Amino acid sequence: MPEVVGTETRCAVDVPVLRCDPICRDHVAIDLAVPGFPASEPGQFVQLRCCESGPTEPIEADWPADGFPSISDRQFASSQPFLRRPFSIADRWQHSDGAAGLRIISRTVGMGTRWLAHLRPTDTVNLTGPLGRGFAIPPPDVPLVLVGGGVGIPPLLYLARRLHEAGRTDVTAIFGAASRDLLPVRLSSEPATDGTARVCVDLPGAARYPAIVTTDDGSAGLPGMVTAALRAWHSRRAGRGAPAMVCACGPQAMLWAVAQQTRQLGLRCQLCIERVMGCGIGTCLSCVVRVRDANQAAGWRWALACTDGPVFSRDELLDDGGKAPA
Amino acid sequence: MALTADAPDDPRLVTNLAGLPLRTPVLTASGTCGYGPEYAGLLDYRRLGGFTTKSVTRQERTGNPPERIVEVRAGLLNAIGLANVGLERFLAEKVPFLRTMPTTVLVNVAGHSTDDYVAVAAALDEHPCVAAIELNVSCPNVADGLMFGTDPVLLRQVVAEVRQALRRARLVVKLSPNVTNIADLARAAIDGGAEVLSLINTYVGLSVDVRTWCPHLGNVTGGLSGPAIKPLALYNVHRVYREVARDARVPIIGMGGIQNTNDAIEFFLAGASAVAVGTALFVDPTLPVKIAAGLAEYVTARGLDNVAALTGQLRTG
Repeated sequence: MPEVVGTETRCAVDVPVLRCDPICRDHVAIDLAVPGFPASEPGQFVQLRCCESGPTEPIEADWPADGFPSISDRQFASSQPFLRRPFSIADRWQHSDGAAGLRIISRTVGMGTRWLAHLRPTDTVNLTGPLGRGFAIPPPDVPLVLVGGGVGIPPLLYLARRLHEAGRTDVTAIFGAASRDLLPVRLSSEPATDGTARVCVDLPGAARYPAIVTTDDGSAGLPGMVTAALRAWHSRRAGRGAPAMVCACGPQAMLWAVAQQTRQLGLRCQLCIERVMGCGIGTCLSCVVRVRDANQAAGWRWALACTDGPVFSRDELLDDGGKAPA
Repeated sequence: MALTADAPDDPRLVTNLAGLPLRTPVLTASGTCGYGPEYAGLLDYRRLGGFTTKSVTRQERTGNPPERIVEVRAGLLNAIGLANVGLERFLAEKVPFLRTMPTTVLVNVAGHSTDDYVAVAAALDEHPCVAAIELNVSCPNVADGLMFGTDPVLLRQVVAEVRQALRRARLVVKLSPNVTNIADLARAAIDGGAEVLSLINTYVGLSVDVRTWCPHLGNVTGGLSGPAIKPLALYNVHRVYREVARDARVPIIGMGGIQNTNDAIEFFLAGASAVAVGTALFVDPTLPVKIAAGLAEYVTARGLDNVAALTGQLRTG
């Protein structure tokens, strides 16, 4: 039984890997079984240690019988990544033996994520979580639009499951990537090329929400950015129903564009941001972002992405220049 | 410290630093563990020797613009900028939790004038839950702070004035390695009345983004911590112990890149009477407890009674 250290809200534990498979180019989906994982919300994240668990002793390995050790062997890469890496929870389910099943989706961009991509079933990885503040789900009469770009899509998958379990029906997904082979989701059918939402993306928990897919190069769905799809969705709505709540996650430029657009269209918006993190639990004060604060003389203060976020309401956030996204 | 009826203290680990009682000789280092509530539940405070808070300054400080940290090989560069809530809010908002913590509490104090240091130290001295003040004269990210930490005359003066203002709390002085001769600074701190020395703080470093040609840090430079500095920290502990602290009978809290029991033992042998874990908490928050357990096992395996028997036992012929 792995040692579980924690309270109701957070735990640090060595967990077994159930699966680690490519989901598209450069991306892997990693499923973990986490005993004693506390209640969690979509938008929250976990901190993974991207190296061998246990005491941080130097790694000693036998010389392979068939020649030289490879620099890409996981055991040699393990001494390099130092800090944990944060990953949004992409899905959560009840695992067979009472532990929570967790999915994270990682894009291989450096030595930590490269180590993760080599995980195999029955390996273990050390995890801390759930951390941060997740999405606030609006009242039932508010339509929801989940807007995700690339590796920003995973937290919206967990959100889709949660919305489905809560019986929400007016939910649309808008998922974009540079190209079809960089979409970290499975397509159940061909997405429309004209920005029409249709059920074409595999969502967790049997949620069957319609989705608009966009790609920069037009290799799947609507050519262009997620903002084009959001405009199309809004036009088709023709003002029916309450103003929608957009839940967005993706690259910073995408978030600012979505923020600007939702303001123009009169939609509400929450942004799940990404920052370089150290401890991930609010002590090192590294992952700062500016938020509006009328109590401060300057009108803003530093907030922490790991504890005050990573989900912020659009109107709270200022960009790093101290100017609100226009 | 709030007393608890839990498991009795392990006699192999119980430590006393010039009147500062520690359940184990393993503490957390300032700046890596916040003010207490953040690690509750992840780190068992009942099995921690001491907890060192984030630096407190007289006025609130918002800190540096991002980025504030960058990972480097075997370590971390940080330029947080002494961001903290300031003395008034610290007393009102943070002290109540510190009062409940079942471990020895050290409050790290930073400032940019002697007046600042004295005012903050004196105010903290009023609170019995604050067992010690750790004087931070060595933060490399604040222009003024560097002055006290690199000039023996100024250091002696500020230590003496703070010592005079304290009636109860112990005085720990944390030394910077960004100096020509750390033994001179150690001597000055002891002359001023330091009861315990803690070393080392971070080294000034730089990391550059070759895509943008800009420094990774908003502050340009930052303080280097983590495994990369362990040999340097050990050298400084050894030097201060041999040249100053041993004969002056001033105990040392050694820190810099400690990640496991072996690392901690190295610091004891070099001259430390206690150790602190900082950056490694980000990797494994339970390390201080694991290391204490490892030290207890080692002490028994070597036929010793207590970790104190290891202090300064480095064999140099």
